[in-house]
Amino acid sequence: MSDFSRREFLKRSAAAGVAGGVALTGFGKNAGASDIVQVGTMIDLTRCDGCRGLDTPACVTACREENKDVFPEPIENIGNYWPHKKKEDWSKKRGLTSRLTPYNWTFVQNVSVEHGGKRYDLSVPRRCMHCDNPPCANVCPFSVQYKTPEGPVIIDHDLCFGGAKCRDVCPWGIPARQAGVGAYLKIAPKLAGGGVMYKCDLCYSRTKKGHEPACVEACPRNAIIFGEKEKMRALAHKRAAEINGYIYGEKENGGTSTFYVSPVPFEKIDAELMKQKAAQPNPKAPGFPGMPVNVKNFTETANGIAWSMAIAPVAGIAAAAGAAYKTMKGGGNND
Amino acid sequence: MIKEKAVKKTIKRHGLSILFVHWTVAISTFILIFSGFGQMPLYKRYMLDRLPGLSWVTNFSVTLSIHYWAAAVLILAITYHIVFHGIRRDFDMLPRKGDMKQSAQIIMAVFGFGKEPENDKYLAEQRLAYVFIGGSLLIMVFTGIIKVLKNLPHINFSEGFIYWITQMHNLGTFLVIIGIVVHLGAFIFKENWPMLPGIFTGKIDLEYAKRRHSIWYNRVSGKKG
Repeated sequence: MSDFSRREFLKRSAAAGVAGGVALTGFGKNAGASDIVQVGTMIDLTRCDGCRGLDTPACVTACREENKDVFPEPIENIGNYWPHKKKEDWSKKRGLTSRLTPYNWTFVQNVSVEHGGKRYDLSVPRRCMHCDNPPCANVCPFSVQYKTPEGPVIIDHDLCFGGAKCRDVCPWGIPARQAGVGAYLKIAPKLAGGGVMYKCDLCYSRTKKGHEPACVEACPRNAIIFGEKEKMRALAHKRAAEINGYIYGEKENGGTSTFYVSPVPFEKIDAELMKQKAAQPNPKAPGFPGMPVNVKNFTETANGIAWSMAIAPVAGIAAAAGAAYKTMKGGGNND
Repeated sequence: MIKEKAVKKTIKRHGLSILFVHWTVAISTFILIFSGFGQMPLYKRYMLDRLPGLSWVTNFSVTLSIHYWAAAVLILAITYHIVFHGIRRDFDMLPRKGDMKQSAQIIMAVFGFGKEPENDKYLAEQRLAYVFIGGSLLIMVFTGIIKVLKNLPHINFSEGFIYWITQMHNLGTFLVIIGIVVHLGAFIFKENWPMLPGIFTGKIDLEYAKRRHSIWYNRVSGKKG
């Protein structure tokens, strides 16, 4: 080892560095390029009146009709989530349309808000926002929830285990869980899993065929507009400028495919919704989302760390090269 | 190299680099396993957060951040390991032809059947275990990097690709756990106990080295002359 030269050291360093770097950082992934057009919706709260003449808003009825074949049919005797003595079973409340459930993927919230000396009675259709960087899909432990190239975020009902982590990391707690159905029943239903998560998929199967989502098609006042996402964004900005209004969904959670336009600030709508939620028999029950403004994406903190992670292999290579050089110069072969 | 001690003589088996890599990998892997299981909703279900000092374990954001930091440390250690041994052309831990057979002989000898073969610095079974654990960790790192990329804005892999990457990450976790159990399980056998001080102090008993790692001892002592 004593005849070990600087040239040889550099040669070996380069080879080992390349091997280590390639081994640990992987190859570049080009996942962004696509000719597929992203879709989205613009929801104009100056137009939506919650179909006040109807028992159930038309969008809700249309959604339920469209998805009735996908709604869960759980087993008869659904077990509790051991060791807890509870389970999430909405199968006896299939008719409920006042919140999100596994049988009701969209609903309308009604709020009365004062702004600029004027009172506004607003109806707000709610469902999955189809986020640009959906934490629900990103952190699913089994990656059975995903964002399609067109934008809608979809749950694979056949593989979902119903842990409900997606709901925990969603700023709006949108996905709804039904126990007694799905893959977990085949593994260890008493010990792990909780059913299947359900939510709006923006009628992906319909839109793939060129149709509009059922809620959009059913809306009698054209309050929900569907189309190319960037056009919806532009439409939202145009409409907000016309009414001197506000947009929700463009920045929230890092950006979404749903753009609400309102004549009143969404902070006021959110405050009213939170009041309504607090007044419910069980305020902690999921399925009644607020509208927190500028809410952060769950993965934001971790993504900040990810950039720091890139330093790790560089530091490892530098430290190893230094240590190897030192030990080899010292003649040590037993380090 | 050979050091006189009050009671017995020892020989240096591991340098600081090996100790650094071993313990950095061990500690970061333990943290990764714990924080990784925390990415499933199991801790909440089984009320781990109700134990004193563990209220944070059900906070997915906290456990994910810990997972990322521990992964960075593991990547640093693995890169260090590959580069350090690559530069030194030091491949003592890589499996050799006949290691399977020799491993069987070593295990049989532990139970009193037959004679153990002469060993180099590492036992044949250690070289095989190294590849198993190392390979499993590389699966974790590769799939983990893709999962990290997936979480970044503007990066969206196809559902089929990310599904299988996730399954490999989950399966790799169990391979690593199996590897750790087998690795620690080796120390059930008294014959392996003299190796233990080596991973803490870098030194092992000289007489043990002469008897059990004779190929390595002869090479090292011959070189030192």
